[in-house]
Amino acid sequence: MASNSDNSAVGMPQLDFSTFPNQIFWLVVFCVVLFAIVKFFIIPRMEDIFANRRKIIDGNIAKAEEIRLRVSEIEKQIEEELQKAKSQCDEIMNASGNNIKEQMALALEDSKIATTQLISEAEGRLKELRDGSEAAIEKISEELASVIISKISRGK
Amino acid sequence: MEKQSAFNIHPMDQFIIDPMLTGDSLEWYSFTNQALWMLISLVSISFVFIYGSRKHQLVPGRLQSIAELMYFFIRDMIIDIAGQEGLRYFPYIFTLFILILFGNVLGLLPYSFTYTSHIAVTGFLALSVFIAVTIIGFVKNGIGFLSLFWISSAPLALRPILLIIEVISYFVRPVSHSIRLAGNMMAGHAVIKVFAGFAGALGLGAIAPILAITAVYGLEMLVVVIQAYVFTILTCVYLNDALHPGH
Repeated sequence: MASNSDNSAVGMPQLDFSTFPNQIFWLVVFCVVLFAIVKFFIIPRMEDIFANRRKIIDGNIAKAEEIRLRVSEIEKQIEEELQKAKSQCDEIMNASGNNIKEQMALALEDSKIATTQLISEAEGRLKELRDGSEAAIEKISEELASVIISKISRGK
Repeated sequence: MEKQSAFNIHPMDQFIIDPMLTGDSLEWYSFTNQALWMLISLVSISFVFIYGSRKHQLVPGRLQSIAELMYFFIRDMIIDIAGQEGLRYFPYIFTLFILILFGNVLGLLPYSFTYTSHIAVTGFLALSVFIAVTIIGFVKNGIGFLSLFWISSAPLALRPILLIIEVISYFVRPVSHSIRLAGNMMAGHAVIKVFAGFAGALGLGAIAPILAITAVYGLEMLVVVIQAYVFTILTCVYLNDALHPGH
């Protein structure tokens, strides 16, 4: 009951069991050939493409990692330099502070010397003055005494 | 034998296996229109997968994109459903997928022959899957494969009943698996052919059936891809049952 003379289907050609051996024969041939193509051409090719892509991506990731490492290294260096500069700055500041103190002490010393000199000078002058006045008082009292004596002697 | 009708529509004629070289006699080795379309499918697959990706491009072109899309779609599907162990069977499942997909899609060409519309073809494929999965199940799990039918998570009283249901559904698998695909292919093509018959008979009024054909054709484009997908995903599900019968 495959088909009539007009080549027109009666019922479902799918249920014509006389065609089954032929269909299955060609299907098996087709499957085997297709499987061989898949196994020996398609899969190696696709895996190769995929592996290449993977390799490049992995390479890029490794490169990025390397750059990241270098960046952190540079950052560390910068940190170190900064630390060094800071300590240097501290040193300079300390040094200049000491310098200022020293100079101030020197100036203080100078001023002290000057002051003591001034004081001693003033004391000298004072002493002079005092000595002068003592002499004057002596003289005056001598005069006064002679006047008194003369007055007394005259009154007698 | 011949039915006479006003429209003279023969929607099933497109499914007739026609020996092309040996005249009218159909021997098991005769080269038929079905074998021809299997050959065309083989050439198309080679074109897409081998010619299309011959340059091994890092950034794929159009054809290579299509090939990669299909390849990794099936690969990921197997991993999702059957796990990493399922990848061992990837070549078989991928062969099955492109065999059905290209058969379905090429079958939509006018004057073509859809080899996946034949129950002999889909039945053979489904039976192969069924037998292969059963063998894998017993080889991988030994007698433990039978735990697939003994649902340990169900109450004990229900288990014998579930056992019967599970056993029946297991043996119905190849039937539903094959008839789903062949039925979908046959129905869609037959409907298109019926509308085409109307269009031939209606003269100017043919615009309506032609519009209908266009709509059905659009639907069929969807169906052919989905059916190839469904056949493959069910194969993966069955494979998963064989690899992990304990659920």
